[in-house]
Amino acid sequence: MTEPIRLAILGCGAITRSEHIPAVSAHPGVQLVALVDTDLPRAGALIRNRGLSCRAVADYREVLGQVDAVVNALPNHLHVSSNMDCLRAGKHVLCEKPLAITAAEARSCTEFAEEKKLVLAVGMNRRFAASHSLLKLVIEEGLLGSIQNYDFQYGGAFDWRSASGFYFDRAQAGGGALLDFGVHMLDSVIDWFGPVSAFDYQDDDWGSGIEANLFLDLKHAGRFGEIPGHLQISRTFGLKNRLLVRAAAASAEITVSDPEVVVIHRAIGGAPVSQTLQMENFSGGSPYWRQLDNFVQSIANRGKPEVDGWQAVRVLELIESCYAHKRRIAEPWTEIGAESRAGSETSSGTGGSETRT
Amino acid sequence: MNWRNETVFVTGATGFIGGRVCERMMQAGVPKVRALVHGMHRAARIARLPVELCPGDLLERESLRQALGGAKIVIHCGVGLASSIVRGTENMLAVAQAAGVKRFIHVSTAAIYGITPPPGSESEDAPLRRTGDAYCDNKAAAEKVVLNYGKRGLPVVILRPSIVWGPYSAWSTRLMDDLRDGRVAFIAGGHGACNTTYVDNLIDAMVLGLENDGALNQAFFITDAERVSWGDFIRAHMALIEPRPAVEEISRAEIEASRDRSSGLLRGSMKAAARVARSKEFRQMLMQIPLTEAAMKKAWNWVSALPPEKRERLRARFGVRRAAAKSTNAKFIPDALTEATQSTTVFFSIEKARKVLGYEPRVRFSEGMKLVEQWLRYAAYL
Repeated sequence: MTEPIRLAILGCGAITRSEHIPAVSAHPGVQLVALVDTDLPRAGALIRNRGLSCRAVADYREVLGQVDAVVNALPNHLHVSSNMDCLRAGKHVLCEKPLAITAAEARSCTEFAEEKKLVLAVGMNRRFAASHSLLKLVIEEGLLGSIQNYDFQYGGAFDWRSASGFYFDRAQAGGGALLDFGVHMLDSVIDWFGPVSAFDYQDDDWGSGIEANLFLDLKHAGRFGEIPGHLQISRTFGLKNRLLVRAAAASAEITVSDPEVVVIHRAIGGAPVSQTLQMENFSGGSPYWRQLDNFVQSIANRGKPEVDGWQAVRVLELIESCYAHKRRIAEPWTEIGAESRAGSETSSGTGGSETRT
Repeated sequence: MNWRNETVFVTGATGFIGGRVCERMMQAGVPKVRALVHGMHRAARIARLPVELCPGDLLERESLRQALGGAKIVIHCGVGLASSIVRGTENMLAVAQAAGVKRFIHVSTAAIYGITPPPGSESEDAPLRRTGDAYCDNKAAAEKVVLNYGKRGLPVVILRPSIVWGPYSAWSTRLMDDLRDGRVAFIAGGHGACNTTYVDNLIDAMVLGLENDGALNQAFFITDAERVSWGDFIRAHMALIEPRPAVEEISRAEIEASRDRSSGLLRGSMKAAARVARSKEFRQMLMQIPLTEAAMKKAWNWVSALPPEKRERLRARFGVRRAAAKSTNAKFIPDALTEATQSTTVFFSIEKARKVLGYEPRVRFSEGMKLVEQWLRYAAYL
């Protein structure tokens, strides 16, 4: 058996606590060497609470000499500089999404990893849910007939208790709901339906760059022909939280609540029926464990990870195009404030419809 | 005063009223809005505005001082737990006074007269008496503190809205959920006074409070000034749902009788549950566990200390279980808080606001309902 990969986790925020530590602890091919956080007591408390036998370190540069790889779960704006430092030191990197807050930075990171012949994997945990590969098979095998369109919705009152609260700061987060959650959805739909050839994007950003709601109509031009799709994301209210792929013979549904199965809806003799498909022999563990496992295997085999930097680059390029061509979602219930009231309150740069492009 | 050139500080900014205040202030073109944010994870709605999100807590003066920054206008929509309303408001007032704030708009509530305001409380000079409800009594006490600061030179204006509704309001979203779940009844024919206050009408009044020096140190009822009953409010929401939900009438006598019959803790209201918990039989039953009474009391104090909207939300969450009773063909029995809320006969008068502030409700009920419908569609409730 080969030596375990020595690993440090950068950042002890919410995702490290809830997913990365359990995944790393459960993986026999990995030895956790250090938890890194500028808030050293936070890292120390986490080590004690989880009964880990690793060091708490305030600066990741202190441990780069003692590890083979890192899981980077720092706030978004710190991804690129820390990734580059780690790659420069010859370490493999599994970076939480988004790989960077600009496509250009993601690209330079990816090119650098290639040059150094290191694994740079991007944390797209949804790719490792059984339903992702299952739907891919269902589409590829033509079980649904020719695909007509899809509708992908995800929404709920935002409740992500990030330790640093960076989510609502444009400079640190890089964007709102589209960059935060849209990266997952776009990564998935591009993997299923092929590259995006056209889009129409609207969001509710009033000037902060942190949209809470968005509508995105897409057209894919892949090997299944042109497929239109509709994405909706909300941080303020609940949506259907599912993907529905409509096709000639049947439709396929993946719900957020059960990401391990695909439900096929069709009619038999005019009667609507549904059928739940699940993978047999699918490896156990959480999607984060499978993602880590894929990272470990990629390092061992010097192979490409399931989600590499280039895939992150194409999603970030699409997101940047969306932001560059955004239109404001119509919110007629807010326009009352933009009306002139007794000649005093008038529409301004942030509220009136004149800001729509 | 010319508030449009001032930085505006908003407390309760992650809530329904404060969120809309932030939007309206941006729309009015103020140079900067500073929003007090207690729970950053609740800030998604206002984070999309170019407002400054200022972390802080009404119970920590130093955090308020930092959050206020150089703002000279305070719109105080923040509430928190009922038991800390007075302390939070006093902290905000003290910090505002020390910072030389030019106007302090205090969002009070018509509920200072109780969940069921008694006849005679139609105008602002009606005497206040203790209601026994922590939220109502603490909001009343907070007004006194505000007026004291007013006397000491802080330019304060107090607004007393009633049922503040509009897009994002739980009055509409919860009602939609309840209608679909069969958890709505017309109490006493649905004739109770609803006293709707459309959120933008309330904000119009805030703006007038900023502009009008004659308003200083005074309190004003703010409503839509239409005699909208709870039946009207419920029916307007029913009309949005297909197929149209069935809502039965229930008399207050029937509600009382049903409460008398019910014995389970989950039956009836949380108030009734607490009554059971405090009852002799229940306590005797649990006598062996010395901590139980204290724990129950603590829990009840905590629940009763929540503002009505939060209590309602909690009730709605627990209320889901009661929906099972509906499927057994039992008549739906509203809880005590809903019964109390929908039983007042008092329509608050806005004459004083008209006269002194120049307030006139801009959004009529029917128009507000159209906007709410548009928003409900957008927010996937329809």
